[in-house]
Amino acid sequence: MTMRQSFTAVIERNATLTGEFTTEPYEAAWAREARWFVRVLDASGRAPRMLVRTQISPDGLHWCDLDRGAEQSVDPDEGPLHSWPAEGFGGWLRLRGTVVDEPAEATGDTASSLKVLIYLALKS
Amino acid sequence: MTTASHPDPRLLDPKLAKFNPLRRILVHDDFNTGTHGWIELIGNHDQHGDLDTVDAHMSDFRPPQLSSCNFFDVGTHGAMSGTYALKVATRPVTGHTGVAIRRLTMAGRGRVQFETYFAYKAEAASAENGAATAAGGGRWDANNHPSEQQFGALTVATDICDGVRYHNVVRYQNTDPDHEVQHRWMYPTVPEPTPREHFEGKVRLPRTADFTAPDPADWRQFGERQDLCFNEVPTKVNWHYLRWVIDTGTRSNVELQVNDVVHDMSDVPVPPYDEEYGSLQNLLNFYVSVRTHTDVRNFLYLDSVLISVDW
Repeated sequence: MTMRQSFTAVIERNATLTGEFTTEPYEAAWAREARWFVRVLDASGRAPRMLVRTQISPDGLHWCDLDRGAEQSVDPDEGPLHSWPAEGFGGWLRLRGTVVDEPAEATGDTASSLKVLIYLALKS
Repeated sequence: MTTASHPDPRLLDPKLAKFNPLRRILVHDDFNTGTHGWIELIGNHDQHGDLDTVDAHMSDFRPPQLSSCNFFDVGTHGAMSGTYALKVATRPVTGHTGVAIRRLTMAGRGRVQFETYFAYKAEAASAENGAATAAGGGRWDANNHPSEQQFGALTVATDICDGVRYHNVVRYQNTDPDHEVQHRWMYPTVPEPTPREHFEGKVRLPRTADFTAPDPADWRQFGERQDLCFNEVPTKVNWHYLRWVIDTGTRSNVELQVNDVVHDMSDVPVPPYDEEYGSLQNLLNFYVSVRTHTDVRNFLYLDSVLISVDW
């Protein structure tokens, strides 16, 4: 049996995210499996959390949500480490998300932030 | 009837025949089979793993990617051999540097040769990235493409310690920070600032500082101007041969060959550190980096790498 290939890319490391964001494009055409991990190191704001969708691209330039997939909620109150898979993604992956807190949805205030590591774990 | 002499067995393998190795091959990295130990460089952190203690300018060098050289207009370009190349990418932030490193140690002293086939590109334009109107771009004339002026520099370098720590470094300066075409090979006249120097309060660099040598005045040209093959648009990949020889017995440079041009590097100095560094005995690291001078992603692609020695 041929040993399967794997690679874990740290897409964001110790990054403080606020408001709307996208992660850098990452090429993963070789991979059959992909899984995001978000580790929350710190949070500020009123019950801050991150709402995020996996996005895919044919070229690293133009993006859409993965199969109009579910929005993930990364809520530090539910633990420091969060994960979800990405399947059938083609060649490129990134995350598009927004950091919100409870009043922000009403006021548009984007003062909340999450300090995170974002991993993309890939396997052939 | 005569019997043909046996050729060098390496020439029977197409993957090796495109290289010209010294006597012993230490590393042959074909990126169709993985990343082969090429990994993002990061500065040092403290005993708690507190990433806030990593120097800002060494905290975000980006993970390397196994790239099929995929583009919006032609789809998968592929590598020189097979489908995948190693890609090092910057963020679309002026001054950002992407760095991948390969960590070895030395079992001897003598000549060390780094060979690769590489390509370099600025990112193609999209409505989202705004590359068409970013600094460095110019008028399109259906031959030279403005994106070529949006590629900053690529670097191949070492981190070596035999008691004395030093770096051999070669950089292709495609454009200067003002986006003017240079097409020159460069070397730094000072050693790279280290986390220890930061820890001791000697340096503190911003996030987008040039980590190899932050002051442009500390860089010198060597050799003649060399025009490479960008091939007009940001979506055509042509592979360049690079062969670089150093000597770890004398802590010196020897020569750099890029395609058909050999640059004598015997007079190119290698600045050592004055102070000693612990836990680095026999260190033999190679890194490649790519640096953007405008808010456009820059990419360095490596088809494969071969490192050989004469010990």
